[in-house]
Amino acid sequence: MFMNMFINIYRLAVLSLLTAIVVSVSSCTQDFEELNTDKTKLTVLTSTELPYLFSKAQSASSYAFWRYQVAQNLFSDLYSQYFATSATYFPSDRYTIRFDWLQWHWIPIYTEAVPQLKTLLKETDANSAENALAKIMWVYSFHRLTDYYGPVPYFKAGEPASSVAYDGQKEIYYDMFTKLDEAVKVLNTNKAKTPYGSFDLIYNGDVNKWIKFANTLRLRLALRISKVDPAKAKTEAEAAVASGVMLTTADDAYMVKSENGGDFNGLAGISVWNEFRMSASMESVLKGYEDPRMSVYFQPAVGTGKFDGLRNGLLPAQLNISINGNDANSNVGTRWTKWSGSSWGGQNTTPQNIMHAAEAYFLRAEGALNGWNMQGASQDLYEKGIETSMRQWGISDAAAIAAYQKSAATPIPPMDGVNSPAMASIAVKWGTSPAIQREQIGTQKWLALYPDGIEAWAEFRRSRYPKLYPIVNSDNSDLPSGTFIRRIPFLVLEKNTNAAAVKAAEGLLGGPDKPNTPLWWDKN
Amino acid sequence: MSFCSFGAFAQASIRGTVTSSDGEPVIGANVIELGTTNGTVTDLDGNYILKVGANAVIEFTYTGYVSQKVTVGAQTMVNVVLLEGVALSEIVVTALGISREKKSLTYAAQTIQGGQLTQVRDANFANTLNGKVAGLVVTNAASGVGGATRVNLRGNRSIQSSNNALFVIDGVPVDNSTPGQVGNDFGGYNGSDGVANINPDDIESISVLKGAAASVLYGSRAANGVILITTKKGGSGAISVDANSGVQFDAPLTLPYLQNEYGQGNGGAFGARASGSWGPKMNNQALTDWTGKSQNLTPQPNNVADFFQIGSAFNNAVGIKAGTDKVQSYFSFTNNQASGVIPGNTLDRNTVNLRISTNLSKKFSTDAKITYVNQMLNNKLRSGEESSEVMNLYKTPRSIRIEDMQNYESESGAPNYWTSSSIYMNPYWTINRTSADEERTRTTGLVSATYQINEEMKVLARVSLDQYTDRGENTFYNNTLLFAQAGGSFQKYFRQVQERNAELLLIGNKKINNNFKLSYTFGLADLARKSDFTQTSANGLLVPNKFDLGFARTLSVGTGFVERDLQSVFGTVQVSLKDYLYLDVTARNDWSSTLPAPHSYFYPSLGLTAVLSDMVELPSFVSFAKFRGSYTRVGNDAAPYLLTQTYSFSQGGIGGFINRDGTQAIGDLKPELTTSVEFGFDGRFFDNRMGLDVTFYRTNSVNQLLSLPLAPASGFSNQYINAGDIQNSGVELTLTGSPIKKDDFVWDLTLNYARNVNTIVSLHPDIKQTFLSSGYGRTAGVLVKEGGAYGDLYADGWAKAPDGQFIMDASGKPVLTATQEFLGNFNPKFTLGLNNAFSFGKISVNVLVDARIGGVMTSGSDANLAFDGNAAYTTAYREGGWVLPGVVKKGESYTPNTTPINAETFWTTVSNGRYSWGQLFTYDATNVRIREAAVGYDFTVNKSFVKKAKLSIVARNLFFLTKGKAIIDVPGVPTRKMWFDPDVNLGAGNYQGIEYGSLPSARSIGLNLNLSF
Repeated sequence: MFMNMFINIYRLAVLSLLTAIVVSVSSCTQDFEELNTDKTKLTVLTSTELPYLFSKAQSASSYAFWRYQVAQNLFSDLYSQYFATSATYFPSDRYTIRFDWLQWHWIPIYTEAVPQLKTLLKETDANSAENALAKIMWVYSFHRLTDYYGPVPYFKAGEPASSVAYDGQKEIYYDMFTKLDEAVKVLNTNKAKTPYGSFDLIYNGDVNKWIKFANTLRLRLALRISKVDPAKAKTEAEAAVASGVMLTTADDAYMVKSENGGDFNGLAGISVWNEFRMSASMESVLKGYEDPRMSVYFQPAVGTGKFDGLRNGLLPAQLNISINGNDANSNVGTRWTKWSGSSWGGQNTTPQNIMHAAEAYFLRAEGALNGWNMQGASQDLYEKGIETSMRQWGISDAAAIAAYQKSAATPIPPMDGVNSPAMASIAVKWGTSPAIQREQIGTQKWLALYPDGIEAWAEFRRSRYPKLYPIVNSDNSDLPSGTFIRRIPFLVLEKNTNAAAVKAAEGLLGGPDKPNTPLWWDKN
Repeated sequence: MSFCSFGAFAQASIRGTVTSSDGEPVIGANVIELGTTNGTVTDLDGNYILKVGANAVIEFTYTGYVSQKVTVGAQTMVNVVLLEGVALSEIVVTALGISREKKSLTYAAQTIQGGQLTQVRDANFANTLNGKVAGLVVTNAASGVGGATRVNLRGNRSIQSSNNALFVIDGVPVDNSTPGQVGNDFGGYNGSDGVANINPDDIESISVLKGAAASVLYGSRAANGVILITTKKGGSGAISVDANSGVQFDAPLTLPYLQNEYGQGNGGAFGARASGSWGPKMNNQALTDWTGKSQNLTPQPNNVADFFQIGSAFNNAVGIKAGTDKVQSYFSFTNNQASGVIPGNTLDRNTVNLRISTNLSKKFSTDAKITYVNQMLNNKLRSGEESSEVMNLYKTPRSIRIEDMQNYESESGAPNYWTSSSIYMNPYWTINRTSADEERTRTTGLVSATYQINEEMKVLARVSLDQYTDRGENTFYNNTLLFAQAGGSFQKYFRQVQERNAELLLIGNKKINNNFKLSYTFGLADLARKSDFTQTSANGLLVPNKFDLGFARTLSVGTGFVERDLQSVFGTVQVSLKDYLYLDVTARNDWSSTLPAPHSYFYPSLGLTAVLSDMVELPSFVSFAKFRGSYTRVGNDAAPYLLTQTYSFSQGGIGGFINRDGTQAIGDLKPELTTSVEFGFDGRFFDNRMGLDVTFYRTNSVNQLLSLPLAPASGFSNQYINAGDIQNSGVELTLTGSPIKKDDFVWDLTLNYARNVNTIVSLHPDIKQTFLSSGYGRTAGVLVKEGGAYGDLYADGWAKAPDGQFIMDASGKPVLTATQEFLGNFNPKFTLGLNNAFSFGKISVNVLVDARIGGVMTSGSDANLAFDGNAAYTTAYREGGWVLPGVVKKGESYTPNTTPINAETFWTTVSNGRYSWGQLFTYDATNVRIREAAVGYDFTVNKSFVKKAKLSIVARNLFFLTKGKAIIDVPGVPTRKMWFDPDVNLGAGNYQGIEYGSLPSARSIGLNLNLSF
């Protein structure tokens, strides 16, 4: 009896099982399309999403967290001698070219800034403020890229293809000037707009500040080509200044940073790793000038309580000596990282420095020395640049600033592990000859640009100011002791994926694809 | 072993008992009426009852015994004594749980009995397959007890997808995904795998189908070979109970060779805060050391070895079988508890298994099974160069006292460490103040029903559901370098994976005439898979070291969701001629949701077997000879969501970011295709005293779905393409023999040999090489390059002049190669396993020798030991005067090097610790070891309450008979022997050949007691 019931239930169960199988097997492929749509992602973009794209492009062009290290800190930050490597395992301070790290000053621009910017340029009205901002971010991204490598893919960037041609640096610069000019023209007719609103991580949609930003960038680029193409440089610089560049720290460009998604202030994020310290160059100059920015830029070494730096290009065995150790040298200032007594705490949401009014004054000071109309006298602009930089870093004591501007102090020997002399002999006080004045402008601009090593290295190559130390050891036979690196060779990644274009690009470079070949604008 | 009873349609009933030559009942022997589908199995007392037709011939078969045929005639009682021997008409469980006579198979299959796996144990049973199957290579991830394994058959065929064999339990594939395997030498935590959840005590037998032959029935996942597991089933008759209790102790098998002459410091001088051992000779001199105390500088020869503990593993299992003619049940419960050689690393697993089989009517039978597993892994270990437990330990200078290390934390909660580092910490901090725990709950259910339509045909319907949830927590105390944000960090994740298989099969056979027989299977199947993942991370904790998401400063969340469906129609037909010639034809069509419309792909296969010994008269020493050959094609779909361009949202900035994904969508995605051809010979000689099974194969995998780098200037960094042709060819050989076979002494041996040759025939018209993972500068990278082989390792090396001499720079230091050097291949050239089984009466002895010949492995740990001056080989030339033989390049000419350097300069040049010239730390991975040894004593007393009692002493990884050496001899330094175990890899993914901070493999010794009631 029980068994029969059991069997009947079982039969029923199995019958439904069979039905279920037949139904599921024969349900066909109708719902496959829907099934194969990723719910965690977007497949269609509407106007709602455009501000998010702009935020992404901004963040990608000025590196967050670990990318800041591999794109910038392990190369241009060392080449500009803001910092020196204190870790034994990073050879890039001895001019070893690590392409696997360097590709992070390439991939993000092309795959995270360019696609979003191209979409914005296409999907927004050409006369809109949104469109203009996308153009400015395009120029900002590309000038930092081309100044590492020289020719880069530019005009065809972001067009899907198995090979993308490189463009000469001159053509790139000319187009950047055009884009900035167009953008400013459009912005001038949209001054009341707030493009992208709070998704504009730099100016919160403030069109007036963007106009100054674009003009300052244009001025920066003009000075960059001032040796190779003086006429164009003059035209562009004068147009930029006439249109209005940054004047006060209120115009300064910072980028909002977030704890979320690893969108950290780049320098802060990597400052906790004990892999770099103040360079002897910074120490020599800041100490020599008794520069009040010393305690903002850096903090005393945790082992000694003193400000100390180390030379660039030390060997692992030299780095193992305690005077070159992390405990004996200065980490970056508390703006970026704080010492708990046992470890570093990165100030990850500190806004990232992008571009500042102080730089505009130094650019104008140099332009004025070139005989351009920079709406001011060279010395005044130089001193105003110093003052603006001091104010930018929170030094507001007018008397101290004035004393600094008139100081005859010069850099001092840093008392480091290799008995270095003073880095240079230049004073702050405005000099008597254009040669001295140029070195002063270059040295003060170098101090003011801190910590933007990408810009500082570019300007060092163009101007050869400040007179940096030679690196102690070079592992690179193309760059023997006493020489400075002039560019980054084309990436191995590019040679593997874009070989024909790289080959053609060597023709645009004007020299062999080596780190000692100067860029188009580098006439030293 | 299982046999499906097709029901009885006969008149006469016969009964009898099957015993072995020593009078013991043979349980589960197959009793088959020849020429029909009628059969049964013997019960626990060896008894059977079978209704047979007139003029019936019945055959008695049992694995490991010589089968017997008996003509029934007028008998009603047929008692049989089976003689031990190598079974010829062994029944092999093949795809979908269909049993077939082994002699009819057209492809290579090798069987392992459950007992071979339960004597010598591991928390992941896949590790115990090593050496037992020709052509099977097991490596395991360095993540401690319960870590994932990589089980590879016949080489690697897929560049970017899994090369793991498919595991199938009772006809149902198990999800054996290995989430989160460490794929670069920076390192991380490895996820566990699905195989680790399998309870070896429930295994009845394993069939290994090495080629793609089973693919037509299991689909493309079977292209890497299949490991078919048959679990225990209930039986009718008296209740029987099997109990197994085991305990095992583990100790590290290999540790680095360390120096004990020079203490902490640099440049020969003591440094209390130095990271390495380049200090002075340790002469008992009094110094103020890192603890701030004055202590004598003395060698601490055991400060590494004593960090490890004796690991232990306990397993207790009980299995109960009971049933009637109509309903049979099997129930088992197993508890495994293991603690690893690193304190805190533990596994606790409970498995409950219930299986009910019914024969409800003559035509109707069912089988239902439910398995529940709860597994808790505590303190999973990291591998790689980042702050892993083992890496932190190996970086300890040679003069640091372990009792000082144990004081790892200051009163204020700060870590105590002897040096300042960006990533490395006191290893005691790492084990006490960081943790990664993972709990898995897994339920697998299976229901199948069989309806016998008539004598020749039956329908089988089966639905299975495999579902597991992983719940993980990672904690990092405040001040943990690299991982902790302010206050500490905490992560919590959930992963739910679900796989549902539904199948409807028509199985039948037909006797066409006396010569021809036909058997066939047709089926429909649906495979639905879904996984859902959420990870929430606390970015810093507002109350330090309170590890709950509620204390987070801010939270960030990552999600993943994958869903896919695969529908199939398939069929296989076998025609046999006179039971000596078999032809198999199969075909399958799949429709996959991951492919563009029409979603469909088709693949056929063909196989032929000839039993020569039944066809022609062979010399008398040949007992059995069979030739087989097969041709198989297997299609494979792709991962989901590749067809349409996607944009990702991510946190950051003010309102978040949207970014177009860097990989270009592939709208015209095509299925992958693998073709394989194999030929084999299976022979038994000298009255089955010797057996030889040899297989030659070649597989080509084409149209592989590859994600290759694209020029980023195009806006995409990667593209999917269908390209490539990877070829594997090789030979597998199994030799069995019984050199001695006497009543009181039997010696059986099995030799497994396998060799696989891999060639990357082509990759892509434009792209000729791609890195599987680039180890650039850290260790070595795996480069897939046209003309090369899968697994070729490349790394930085020591430059050589055209005449082969080493190049030094002007200061006497070695010069780095301009491009990365080829080091070798991570795959062994060939593998050998030799098992010797002896039995003297009640004592049995089993010894498995396992050899892996050839292949290389690069050790990041070794590079760190060199950089820190901890390795034994760094003592040469400490005081300088080391003029490296070789040349210095000046312009285009070479002059002899005359500049002396010292050991510190040399080793810190070729290794920067985290980054190194991998070539100098690469070893020939050749090794021969005693893989397993077991001594058992059977103290069963006849006719007692206890039916069987066996006690074994078992050992695994006893010792190495030989090991490889470094591929480069450094002049002036004695030969460097490989000190690590190449079985242990960074992870269980495709990035193999790298040791970096890997947990040493374990030498285990244990006791096992098996009782049957």
